Amino acid sequence: MDSRRVANTVLLRKLLLAVLLMFGFAWLLVPLYRVLCEVSGLNRVVAADALPEATASQPPVRPVTLQLDAMVQPGLPWQVRPVQSRLQVKTGQLIQLEYEMRNNSERQVVGQAIPRYLPAEAAAYVKKLECFCFRQQAFRPGEVRRFPVVLLIDRQLPAAIDSITLAYSVFDVPGQGRAP
Amino acid sequence: MDLASNTAHGMVSAHKPQGLARWLFATNHKDIGSMYLWFAFCMFLVGGVLALCIRAELFSPGLQFFQPELFNQLTTLHGLIMVFGAIMPAFTGLANWMLPLMIGAPDMAFARMNNWSFWLLPPAMTLLLLSFIVPGGAAAAGWTLYAPLSVQLGMGMDLTIFAIHILGISSIMGAINIVVTIINLRAPGMRMMNMPMFAWASLITAYLIIAVMPVLAGAVTMVLADRHFGSHFFNAAGGGDPVLYQHVFWFFGHPEVYIMALPAFGIVSQVIPTFARKPLFGYSSMVYATSSIGVLSFMVWAHHMFVTGMPATAQLFFMYATMLIAVPTGVKVFNWIATMWQGSMSFETPMLFAIGFILLFTIGGLSGVTLSVAAVDVQLHGSYYVVAHFHYVLVAGALFSLFSAVYYWFPKMTGRMYVERLGQLHFWWSLLWFNVTFFPMHFLGLAGMPRRIPDYALQFTDFNRIASIGAFMFGLGQLIFLVNILYSLRHGKTAPQQPWEGANTLEWQIPTPAPYHSFNPPPQLETAENGVVLSMRDSGQA
Repeated sequence: MDSRRVANTVLLRKLLLAVLLMFGFAWLLVPLYRVLCEVSGLNRVVAADALPEATASQPPVRPVTLQLDAMVQPGLPWQVRPVQSRLQVKTGQLIQLEYEMRNNSERQVVGQAIPRYLPAEAAAYVKKLECFCFRQQAFRPGEVRRFPVVLLIDRQLPAAIDSITLAYSVFDVPGQGRAP
Repeated sequence: MDLASNTAHGMVSAHKPQGLARWLFATNHKDIGSMYLWFAFCMFLVGGVLALCIRAELFSPGLQFFQPELFNQLTTLHGLIMVFGAIMPAFTGLANWMLPLMIGAPDMAFARMNNWSFWLLPPAMTLLLLSFIVPGGAAAAGWTLYAPLSVQLGMGMDLTIFAIHILGISSIMGAINIVVTIINLRAPGMRMMNMPMFAWASLITAYLIIAVMPVLAGAVTMVLADRHFGSHFFNAAGGGDPVLYQHVFWFFGHPEVYIMALPAFGIVSQVIPTFARKPLFGYSSMVYATSSIGVLSFMVWAHHMFVTGMPATAQLFFMYATMLIAVPTGVKVFNWIATMWQGSMSFETPMLFAIGFILLFTIGGLSGVTLSVAAVDVQLHGSYYVVAHFHYVLVAGALFSLFSAVYYWFPKMTGRMYVERLGQLHFWWSLLWFNVTFFPMHFLGLAGMPRRIPDYALQFTDFNRIASIGAFMFGLGQLIFLVNILYSLRHGKTAPQQPWEGANTLEWQIPTPAPYHSFNPPPQLETAENGVVLSMRDSGQA
């Protein structure tokens, strides 16, 4: 009977270890997810892209409509708009555009813009070289600023896509009020 | 409350504590099993009432009874209570009651821990229900508690997170008990590859619980940290990603689906051979199919996330992996049908529920295969088609199998027979109104009605009316079950030791009702596949 007790305790310890390991695994998923997204290029939305090779030497090719948009969740203090909402561009061409961001509140706020693309497949082909979404932006009360965005649409863009929408959502950075 | 009582069949029924202490300090697997089952049934009624509130609101377009905020709380709590309060505890309770009897163990391996794992449930469910009355109301992010909504909600969400922590600890302890009991406490002669399918299913389920409940605990702890401790796991502005939550959640969530389905497979694999009076067809393929479902369940989680913008290669991987699960599941369904083939079948209530299970679970499985097709899922995601799908596998699957199990083992547990006519009425009533409730939801989903909304476009009215009427009738029918149980506990006919002619597993070799202490010391057995007992010696019964 005693050996059975020991066997039970040994198995109990192993199973408890499995529970702890799986709890740890849940937290491991966080860096794992980030690394996977970076390696596969799935989630490089707020980091500068490298200029595709041989871009400068080749002429622009295919015309594409670039539509610009921006949104702010209700209750947040900003107003964001693209200066131009629609551009006719070509793949392989360096494009510069502008967004205007305004702090409508009476306090200092910090915001982070997150870009989104429609159709989603286009995301991999829009290379952002300069963007206000690369860092958090601090605003004084009532401040208005214009930000340049420099991007390029890769020549490899699938032929089926002839129009791309780039939309920014601006989020509040928790612990707002501090400069980044 | 006296499910476990017995009329002292010349058995060791001494040492039975009396009164409240018997339940509060219970260490007897039969007492704890009974408490689990009653608790699960109460939660089934609570979750059912929430479901009826939902169906009442959806009877007509527009807002009748509930504001959208409260409606979302109702759907969320309905899901959480049914999953964590009703189905999972019911299976754990059945495992507690029957496993030691089926494999010849004197009790569960860790009796005191068994007591804790039950008594954690009532406080957890109290926290969950309490959240309705705190400012901001209960959690309203759906049972999946997706970020960012779950990060933004009021303090009801905190109560929900703590409730899930406690429920997780409870089910992990229950699962550890089941694993250790099955691995270490089988009676001599009860080989692993001869165990009843219910024991196999409980074992694999317990492993799944041990593997994924900690992941859920991790996910909700991250939500808690995002809410209160300034972390940004799921906050895009802080460098996090809400889609990460979905990955962590569904890494738990998909195996959870099988945690609620595998024990049902186990029950049906006991009931069908008994009433077909034939051994289970393809026992070892059944064991391997159950195990492979358990393994595959870890590789398909992202099929819940086809619309998050995954790359096509990932979609294809998860789509094919999901379809692959249909293969072992199909093996099981064919095995059950082959077991019935040319059997000498009789149709008592447990058998009816088991056959109803096979029929309806297969329909739910088919709509599951439909949903697994990524291209189709993009259209059906978040629609009522999904609601129809998972109610076919959870209500007609898990719940019907539970009814089957309760009717099947009721004589062994209580020493009395249930009322057969009421049982049959309960089955046919449930079968009819279940389909009236949930079949139209397929059409609603295909037509584009989204889930989790209190209001809908006018063209959905007719099917919603049908579903609501069905739901109320289905709910009413469950009172037949309650009446049957309550009546039979006191006035049911005395059950013989062998109420079912074809039952030949170990639990039927001991007196009815099962004595308070059984198999102490364990018997010497000679067994065949699926727990069939060929001979039993030195049982300690004499």
